[in-house]
Order: sequence, then C-alpha cells, then structure tokens
Amino acid sequence: LNLKIKTNEPGPPSAALTSLRSARFIEDLQGVNYPPNILSPNPALNPAASGKFKYAKDFLMQFKDVFTEKPSVDWDEKMRDTVGEPDSARTQTAR
Amino acid sequence: ETGEDGLALPGNKEQLTVFHSADNFNVKHPLMNKWTLWYTKPPNNRGENNWNDLLKEVVTFDSVEEFWGIYNNIAKTSELSLKSDYHLFKTGVRPEWEDAQNKHGGKWAYQFKRGSPVDDLWLNVMLAAIGETLESDKDKEIMGVVVNVRKVSYRIGLWTKTTGAGKGTPKEAALMEIGRKFKEVLKLGDKDVIEFSCHTESAHSGQSRAKAKHVV
Repeated sequence: LNLKIKTNEPGPPSAALTSLRSARFIEDLQGVNYPPNILSPNPALNPAASGKFKYAKDFLMQFKDVFTEKPSVDWDEKMRDTVGEPDSARTQTAR
Repeated sequence: ETGEDGLALPGNKEQLTVFHSADNFNVKHPLMNKWTLWYTKPPNNRGENNWNDLLKEVVTFDSVEEFWGIYNNIAKTSELSLKSDYHLFKTGVRPEWEDAQNKHGGKWAYQFKRGSPVDDLWLNVMLAAIGETLESDKDKEIMGVVVNVRKVSYRIGLWTKTTGAGKGTPKEAALMEIGRKFKEVLKLGDKDVIEFSCHTESAHSGQSRAKAKHVV
C-alpha cells in the first residue's frame, strides 16, 4: 500500500536520510569491507591514512543509483526558491 | 563481553556503507573539502537584475553520499534556462571575482558548442573537484568549478586562487598541470585548446572572455 498524501508540511526524514545524518565519517578506507560487487577506492590515491580522501571517478559513479534520496526534508521548497523544480525546468527544455 | 569474532566489542561495530544497505548504513565517505553549490538565475525582464539577487546559495555538503542525493534531485544543466550558471565552490568562497580568495586568481575555461553532452561533462568536472583528483594536496589552487548556459555555448570553467606567478616557477607548473588534468576530465583532444585568463583582466574588459595568459 503506497498512499501519497500531499501536504505543505515536510514529512519525517526517510530511513535513507536518517542514515545519512547519523552515519559517521569513515576514518580508514582500508577498514571498510565493501560488498564483492563494489570496486574499492584506489589505494594509490590515498597513500596516507589521513581521514581525508581522494576518490576516482569510477569509485564515485557507483553511488549514483544507490543514494537517490532528497538531501533534506525541505528540498522541494528549497528548489522552488533557487533552481526551480526539476519537473518545471524539464518542460522548458526544447528537444 | 568479548564476541567470538571480536565484532561485538564496542567501537568495533561493523561498518555498513550505503552499498550494504541504502536505508540503513552507519558510515559515509568524507570529502576532503566541504563544497557549496550555487545557482545563478537568468535575469528577468522586470529589471530586478542585481547580481546578488540572482546568485543563490543552494546547498552545502561534505560526503559522497550527500553529493549524489543532491545530484539526483536537481535540474540537469541541459534543463536550465539560458543565462543560468551552476557554481560548485569550496565552502567559504563566493563564486565571484571580488571574493578575497578569488581576486588574485583566474580560471581555466573551455566553450562547448550547444549539443555537446554537457550533463556528462559537468558531472565529470564535479566528480574530479570533490574527489580532489585535479591537483596535488600541496597546491591548494582550486577554488571551484562553474558551468554557464549560454545561447551559443556551454562554458565550463575551473577557478584557481592564483594566476601562476612567473614563468618557470613551481606555481606556474602547478597551474599548468591543473589545466592539463582539467582538459583530460573534459575529454578534449590534442587539437583542442583550453585557455587560462586572469580575473582582473576579465573584470576590466567587462566580460568573461579575456586574453589568455596560459594555454594547454
């Protein structure tokens, strides 16, 4: 059952957003066990375990379809005040 | 209280990334710098075109996961109206020549014809910026990256803190190396030329195109 109720009040944060907010920053990339299908960060980019990392494009692209959540509960409102809503922007595109 | 495999020990909890579970992860990937995305609204016809009203701060982020949350929920460059810009700058630096950290700097830039795959190009540039693969740690030159949506072209630029000092100096070499990496990220060929111009010259000439100080 998926009832979408439209209100002006932003709802509670999703599980993904709650995870994003409460997650700790990784301090040591070598200490992370990535699932087998995931390419680990290139160790050559981060010779020192500094807590500040460089990431190659291939590694970063893996997140694209994995974290798709709006980054805040008031995101739509924020978009209306700045860039415009993606949907209305899309209709302006001449194809 | 010692778990058989040691994983039950406090502080030794298993690190679950977004790849383990997108709805239940406990560690995220830090970026080397905090970044702020800005947007320039196209001027309107009602004369309310003060630059400060048009330049909007959109969002600040410091993790890989959050970057994708933003990217996946914001208009693509190809969907923006003419005369809009996206600017992705290190937090604390305004994407303006007048900013104290920009006023002695300049930019590498290239104009792509309309019809170029601007969404891929801009994504590549943003990933290279936040992944910090455009410069070596000691350089600290990069202030931000920008895409301008214009009638005849998309211009993609990379702003640096300095203009590279004198010929043959390490500063100049660093700037040239950044230019070469930027060109690679933009997937340009040997025959294509990207130009570096100083912000002061851009300001004096009254437009964004100034005489190139360096080329790669």
